[in-house]
Amino acid sequence: MDKAKFRSMLKCVLVLAVIALCSGLLLGAFNRLTYVDPLQSAYDRFAADTGATFNSMRDADGKVYGQGSVVYYAVSNDEVYHAFLAEGKEGFGGTVQVYVYIKDDKIDKIVIGENSDNYLFKLEEAEFYDNFIGKDVFSLDVLGTDAVAGATKSSTAVKNAVNAAVRYYVDGNGQPVQTALREIASGGKENG
Amino acid sequence: MDRRKVKETLLGGLIKNNPTFVLVLGTCPTIAMTTSLSQAFAMGLATTFVLIFSNLFVSLLRNVIPDKVRIPCYIVIISTFVIIVQMVMRRYLPDLYAAMQAFIALIVVNCIILARAESYASCNKPLYSVLDGVSMGLGFTAALCLIGIVREFIAGGSFAGIKIPNFPAMEGVGASAFGFITFGCLMALFNFVIQKVNEARERQKRAVLPLSEGKVERMEVEAK
Repeated sequence: MDKAKFRSMLKCVLVLAVIALCSGLLLGAFNRLTYVDPLQSAYDRFAADTGATFNSMRDADGKVYGQGSVVYYAVSNDEVYHAFLAEGKEGFGGTVQVYVYIKDDKIDKIVIGENSDNYLFKLEEAEFYDNFIGKDVFSLDVLGTDAVAGATKSSTAVKNAVNAAVRYYVDGNGQPVQTALREIASGGKENG
Repeated sequence: MDRRKVKETLLGGLIKNNPTFVLVLGTCPTIAMTTSLSQAFAMGLATTFVLIFSNLFVSLLRNVIPDKVRIPCYIVIISTFVIIVQMVMRRYLPDLYAAMQAFIALIVVNCIILARAESYASCNKPLYSVLDGVSMGLGFTAALCLIGIVREFIAGGSFAGIKIPNFPAMEGVGASAFGFITFGCLMALFNFVIQKVNEARERQKRAVLPLSEGKVERMEVEAK
């Protein structure tokens, strides 16, 4: 190879590598300064969305359900709210984080968390969340809900996340108080 | 430091070369982030921050970066500052970040930033490049805020989140199509005003000159 050409190539590689290294170091320093503890962030969000207090996570390891997963699960100190931080894959911009709150076996609230999806606003416009809010989780078919036209992928990601939270609750992984009471009252498991 | 160049650079981005209304750059965030004034302002500030620092570093490294790899180098520099903006917003402005995070990440490919790095910062001194970043950033912010005010007022009947009582909000006007219409109308108005101001200035200049073109023409006609 021509010596001059090799030198020029080496210079290009070196300059790019040094710039990337400096960039990495700078980002590392900023990350230390602005680091947000994900657990604390989830507690704050749960508290802000429900008005209840949360002191500990019932499950901080999470569980995967197909294309959705539960990241964190917590129960409020007064045992009223079951709060989930769930993730749904297959969104328009990748994974969508969704906060799902269950109260008295019904979905009380759904709040969209971190995402890179540009079409989630269409779900709000189409009142997509009304398909889930106020519905009994034991009779809810989340994945069978119609997607919003023009935001099919975003709808799918949200459905995957909500489905993960609902299945987690229904399967009894969170040992919901209401389910336990139902079982005692009916002498067996009612659903699923 | 050349005072005239400083003045030209500072005013250039705000009026003469306004990135939104004159150069028509960064149209995607302009339409997407101007549904409310607060979002428009935050987007403008975030872009200004990235513009200033990317211009500064591109200018400082302009003699070091080989021509062949200049674009990847610019992208690395720009994306570094975009991620810093993301980190800071996530830590200190979580609600605003949640609302606009998809578009904050897209600042990396905002043509205003790459255009200024390529056409200005790569061939000017750091100080001028920073001034250009300030000027372009403020011009972009001002344009975004102007569009944001109009869109929020018509679509939501509010100003900076404060509801105006008894104002009939027009549903559907918040859509992107209306954003384009607002953008176009304001661009036309901006350029019309600038044109009128320039014409008035030109007239003033001619009146002050000892022999204006009109007088010269009249003298020539009289002489004939």
